[in-house]
Amino acid sequence: MSKLNKIEDIFLKIGSVDRRWIFIVIAVVVIIPLLVPIGLPIRATDTSKSVYDAIEALPKGSNVLLSIEYSPSTKPENHPMTISIMRHLFRNDQKVYITCLWPDGQFMAQDALKQVAEGEFNKTYGEDYVLLGYRPGGEAVVKGIVSNIRKLFSVDAKQTKVDDIPMMDGITNFKDFDFLFSASAGYPGTIEWVQYAADPTGVPMSSGVTSIQVNEVMPYVQSGQMVGVLAGMPGAAEYESLINQKGSATSGMDAQSVAHLVIVLFIVLGNISFFIERKRSRKY
Amino acid sequence: MQKVLYQKPGWLYSVIAVFGFIFAIIAGFFVKGVDDSVAQWGAHVTSDGTLFKWMFDYVFSPMSATMFSLLAFFVASASYRAFRIRNFEATLLLVSGIIIMVGRVPIGGVISSWFIMYLIVLCLGIYVNSLKQDMKITFVLVAVGISLVTIGGVISGWPIDQPGIFYLPSIQEWIYFYPNVAGARAIMIGIGLGIFATSIRYILGIERSYIGE
Repeated sequence: MSKLNKIEDIFLKIGSVDRRWIFIVIAVVVIIPLLVPIGLPIRATDTSKSVYDAIEALPKGSNVLLSIEYSPSTKPENHPMTISIMRHLFRNDQKVYITCLWPDGQFMAQDALKQVAEGEFNKTYGEDYVLLGYRPGGEAVVKGIVSNIRKLFSVDAKQTKVDDIPMMDGITNFKDFDFLFSASAGYPGTIEWVQYAADPTGVPMSSGVTSIQVNEVMPYVQSGQMVGVLAGMPGAAEYESLINQKGSATSGMDAQSVAHLVIVLFIVLGNISFFIERKRSRKY
Repeated sequence: MQKVLYQKPGWLYSVIAVFGFIFAIIAGFFVKGVDDSVAQWGAHVTSDGTLFKWMFDYVFSPMSATMFSLLAFFVASASYRAFRIRNFEATLLLVSGIIIMVGRVPIGGVISSWFIMYLIVLCLGIYVNSLKQDMKITFVLVAVGISLVTIGGVISGWPIDQPGIFYLPSIQEWIYFYPNVAGARAIMIGIGLGIFATSIRYILGIERSYIGE
């Protein structure tokens, strides 16, 4: 057997490796960078910069609607975005109104508020931020907020009447907001906000979405219906670097980088084995 | 329930599912876990210390996150077995996929565009060799390509992100903004036209499948 044949056999063996070995390799390459960070440099893309610039350009005391539509399953991607956006908004003394199109979103919003509004900025509930909570209905909720938010939200998440919340004075519909940010993981989410709220009213909006959603959201960014987008965990990490406050997304990027490289390596090895197999089957 | 009653394969999992269902109803409607002064009915769902919030934080959240994170393992395994250079379209998909995967993450930003150029020259060499089956031609092509890239690098000072068309983050942004948007728009327009056509069929009474015809 020639040397080349021996090498080919090794590649063929790698090509037919049990998938549990692949699982182990992926687990190892994800865990190691999480324990020992590499600290790869994060370069902000134009779409992330646009989100940052749009929020930075808002005058002090602007009314910003933050819509939370994700669940614990996509928390590693969406939650760092929400936290960074909250940090940026509170740092600039904006008034933050939070709604949720997903039931789990309320838990996520509470978690982020506890960390940022209460823990880091010591903001006052009802004066600096309000959690209006979850309402079922998807597009109908978005339309309801556009026409009359008070009909839809008569009480907030704590069951307090919205009439008794100081920062709700003067807020009747979507046009009373200066900016919308949607932290979204699917339907109902960003696309519904664009179609039923931001585009018909002209209120600027932006969004933070999971990586797999970027494809369907990008046409709205390119057409100008959305001001930039935070795309998945890399987008969250970019925003963390833009506001100069590193968080879980930044530490997750090392693991994601290495995992992606390993997946590419797997693809290359799989293809080498595929070509050898094809060559041999042609030969015989 | 039937699976549990007849003890079909995997019935124990169904027991856990039914138990979870009943537990969620009890935690949501009957047992709050705290006094009214801490949380009222309704607000108790998201209030700290309640049974429902405990269930969400310590049962639902970890299980949900675990289910989603399994995706990484399946993607790795599936791409290893299914991502094959079978034809031109598959190659295009594979190359774009790799560019997106590497270009989106910080490690893509530290890969020099000159390294990508060397890689392209080598891949070109493999392609030409498989076509011509002539080592001389392949060697000359690879040698010329490597020399040209090296000369270009020495003259320009090896900037990591120049020329931009070989810098992975720039290429992935271009893919996102142009071919991807074109495809996404085509799908959206297609769906829109499909909805329109189906609606017209319903309105004109041509489509009657919804009444069982």
